[in-house]
Order: sequence, then structure tokens, then C-alpha cells
Amino acid sequence: MKRVVILGGGIGGTTVANRIRKALEGEVATGQVQIQLIDREGIHAYQPGYLMVVFEKMRPEETRRDEAQLLHKSIQLVKGEVEKVDSAANKVVVKGGKELPYDILVIASGSVIHPELTPGFVEGAHSFYDLANAQKLRAALHDFKGGKIVVSVAGMPYKCPVAPLEVTFMLDDFLRSQGIRDKSEIHYTYPIPKVFGIDTVAQPMQRLMGERGVTIHVPFNVDKIDPAAKTIKGVEGETIPYDLLIAIPPHRGADFVGTSGLGDKGNWIPTDRYLLRAEGKENIFVLGDATNIPISKAGSTADYEAEAVTHNVASMIRGEAPTTRYEGRVYCWIMTGLAQATYIKFDYLHPPHPPTPSFAHYWNKVIYNRTYWDLTARALF
Amino acid sequence: MSGSANAPTTSSAPPSRMVVDARGSWCPGPLMELVRVIKEEPVGTEFELLSNDEGSRKDVPMWLEKAGHQLVEVRSETGYDRYIVRKSHE
Ligand SMILES: Cc1cc2nc3c(=O)[nH]c(=O)nc-3n(C[C@H](O)[C@H](O)[C@H](O)COP(=O)(O)OP(=O)(O)OC[C@H]3O[C@@H](n4cnc5c(N)ncnc54)[C@H](O)[C@@H]3O)c2cc1C
Repeated sequence: MKRVVILGGGIGGTTVANRIRKALEGEVATGQVQIQLIDREGIHAYQPGYLMVVFEKMRPEETRRDEAQLLHKSIQLVKGEVEKVDSAANKVVVKGGKELPYDILVIASGSVIHPELTPGFVEGAHSFYDLANAQKLRAALHDFKGGKIVVSVAGMPYKCPVAPLEVTFMLDDFLRSQGIRDKSEIHYTYPIPKVFGIDTVAQPMQRLMGERGVTIHVPFNVDKIDPAAKTIKGVEGETIPYDLLIAIPPHRGADFVGTSGLGDKGNWIPTDRYLLRAEGKENIFVLGDATNIPISKAGSTADYEAEAVTHNVASMIRGEAPTTRYEGRVYCWIMTGLAQATYIKFDYLHPPHPPTPSFAHYWNKVIYNRTYWDLTARALF
Repeated sequence: MSGSANAPTTSSAPPSRMVVDARGSWCPGPLMELVRVIKEEPVGTEFELLSNDEGSRKDVPMWLEKAGHQLVEVRSETGYDRYIVRKSHE
């Protein structure tokens, strides 16, 4: 029997487990292949929903499901904290001592937020990168009576690179809907000299910020936050006072990546950008936020990568060479208000050109959020 | 990004060099990758940033000048540019 072990039950791990099961349906049914998925809690979090929770477009419970309900019944779910991958011995060590041997390992352990890495963040900033903080921010906005709101990015890389743009535009709409936009200021900071990493996106977004009365501070790399004085200071020397600060926390890869000797300084796993194999490891594939590939850490990335990983795992199980390439495809919506959106679609060779924002693009995002559980997580098509 | 640092830097040793392959990095973008790795590595490290984003030709030199790091060389390769950059200070 051959064993495929998948590490992580988030967007990437869940969809790739279900797709590998489908690709190897016969082998799994006859017991020639066993698929196991290890996840810390066995709860699947749909993180793109957190931004929607802030603006009451999704309820908190709509962002979570029991992982066991999403996995095909022939996939074994193991609940536990992975402590180490012993790649020399081809086994995963789970807290408490349990060991899972593998023939092929797929790592989809995502990214971990570390607000404590920025001085003053925990005490002084709001965030929406986990459910509890998204709910707190929703409450704070509910009580907000006007004042100065600063949106800032406290570390790189961070998942969903367009999220700071989205929260800014949604906030503008939200304040208008509450009748307090004229009593409020929105300030947007970004670490490079423009509002986003490339011109085709930065230019229309900057134009939109101008139309919405958003004040831009670039480049601004966060040095520290002073919760008592309510200021955020950039390494470039500028200090901005705020009434309410919404910041994106620094991210790192999972700890076990470092302790297993699989990662770089940030615990991201050096990964072949096409075949999605961990560099120097024949039988370890990586997808989603866990890689060091310099494209969006996004659910969409994990979803497209899962196609290539599925083919490559199935090929290896059947004794063939893994040859399917991930070409860098990503598709992400950008919310440009409470009920309008645009999107970016790109691959390694073709940059994105976001279309004019519209209600129709927003509606597609709503439909995606609703159908995510069946179409992506369960991989039903 | 495929990064590889050479021997640790000492006063007499040549600077370590790291390749930052940001081709296809449209989101978050090559400059974001450069800013990130410059923060993480020691003073003196050289970076080879590979970018196929035309905007990098303007952005990278502009940001390096503002941030006070050195642009050692820009080489045009087939389909992309190679920026050799040196971290000058913390
Ligand atoms: C506010 C917000 C908005 C977003 N919006 C979008 C969007 O609009 N579009 C988009 O495409 N993406 C979006 N994203 C990004 C997206 O959610 C992530 O990129 C995506 O979840 C990554 O998938 P993954 O499988 O790599 O990791 P995750 O989905 O984070 O899953 C990782 C899993 O591994 C488990 N795990 C980790 N370490 C261990 C361990 N040691 N032992 C056991 N289990 C472990 C975790 O518990 C988790 O279940 C957003 C993210 C946030 C926070």
C-alpha cells in the first residue's frame, strides 16, 4: 500500500486531498493507496470570509465547517499538531508521539500571523486576519462616530495582497452609509512608493482612492505603534496619529517548517515554482501560503496549484514522472465598495488588467463565497 | 523566489548574494519582494532581483534611492531584467 499524507486542512489541503482521491479513485477504493490528512483542529476556516464579517456581509459561523464533512469518506482525518517532518525517514511526527509514515507528503500548512512582531500592534491595532479580531473590528466600526482611520501593512509577505485596498474601499462606503464620512478621514499606507505592487493595478486603485478622498502615505514601512499616544510610526520618519488603526500583521510560515529544516528565514518552503516540489525533496509537494513562490498568498493560488499537485502525485503513485506545471495562475476579486468589485487574473507571463468595478463582479464573488464549500473544498466538479 | 545565500559575510569575504526570482510576481509585485528580503538579510548582502514587470525599471531605482541602498547594475536579459542591489544599511 502507498501512503499519501496531506498536512493542513485549509483551502489548499482540503481541495487537494479530495482531488487526489478522485484522481486515484480505483487505487483508493481497493486499498492500494491510503490518503490521510492531518489538521490541528479539524475545523476548516474560510478566511476570505473574515473581511465580509467585518462589514456584516457574512456571519461568523458561515466561515467555518467541520473538516470531516468536507473530506471524502475514504480520506482519513487525523486531528493533531504536526511537530516535525522527518524527511530522511519519510514520516510526520504529531504532538503526543504519533507518527505517520508517507510515500508522498503534501504540505499545505498555510501561514501564521504574528502581530507581536510589530511593537504595539497587539495593544494598539485592529485587524481582520483572524475571526476573533474581525468580530472586534466589526464592533469597533459599529461604535465609531467619526475620526481618523489609518489602514496599514505591518509586514511582508502577507496573505491576500489586495486586502488592504479592499478594506479601505469598503470602509469608505461603510462610513458613507452611516452618514459619518464627512466627519472621518481615511489614510492608507503602503511599504513601496505606490498603493500596490504593479502599475496596472496601482494606477486605477490610486485613482479610485483620489475619488473617494483617501489620503495616501507611501512608502511607509511600519516601525512601531504607540497605543497610548495612538500613533503609528514608519521607518521613513513619518508618524501618523489615528483614532482607529486597521493593520495587517506580519506573517511567517508554520513553526514545524523551521524545526524540520525545510524552510527559509521566514519558515517559507523553497518550492519549484512549476512542479511545486519542495526543493531537493523528490516526494514532498507544497502548495498555498506555505511556499516561498513570490506570488499572492491566496486561496485562489492554492486552488490552481492543487490541480498540478494532484496530477503530479497521481503520476508518482503510478510510477510515472511528475510533469504537470503550475503556470502561476491566480484569480482574485478586489472589493471596491460594499457592493462593487473588480478582479485580477494573471499567470507568470501575463500581468493582470483589472476591469472597471461593477456590481456584477461583486455578485460573482458572493456566488463564489456561497459555492466555495462544494465546488472548491469538496472539489465536486 | 529561489534564494541562496553563500558563505557568511566577514570583512574580508566577498558579500553573500541572493537570487530573488520575482518573474511573474504581479501580486504583490517584484519591489515588494525586494523590500521584504532587504529587511531580512544583513548589511552588505547583494541581491539579484529578476523581474519581468516593466514598472520595475522605474520603481526599483526610485525606491533604492529613497531607501538609501545601492543599485550596482541593471542587466537586460531575454524577457526580463536583472537588478543587482546591495544592502547599504540597517
Ligand atoms: C481577511 C482575509 C481575506 C482573504 N481574502 C482572500 C480572497 O478574497 N481570495 C483569496 O484567494 N484568498 C484570500 N485570502 C487568503 C486565503 O485565505 C489564504 O491564502 C488561504 O487560506 C491559503 O490556503 P492554505 O491551504 O495554504 O492555508 P490555510 O487555508 O491557512 O490552511 C492551513 C491549515 O493548516 C493547519 N495547520 C497549520 N500548521 C499546522 C500544524 N503544525 N499541525 C496541524 N495543522 C496545521 C491549519 O490549522 C489550517 O487548517 C484571505 C485571507 C484573509 C485572512
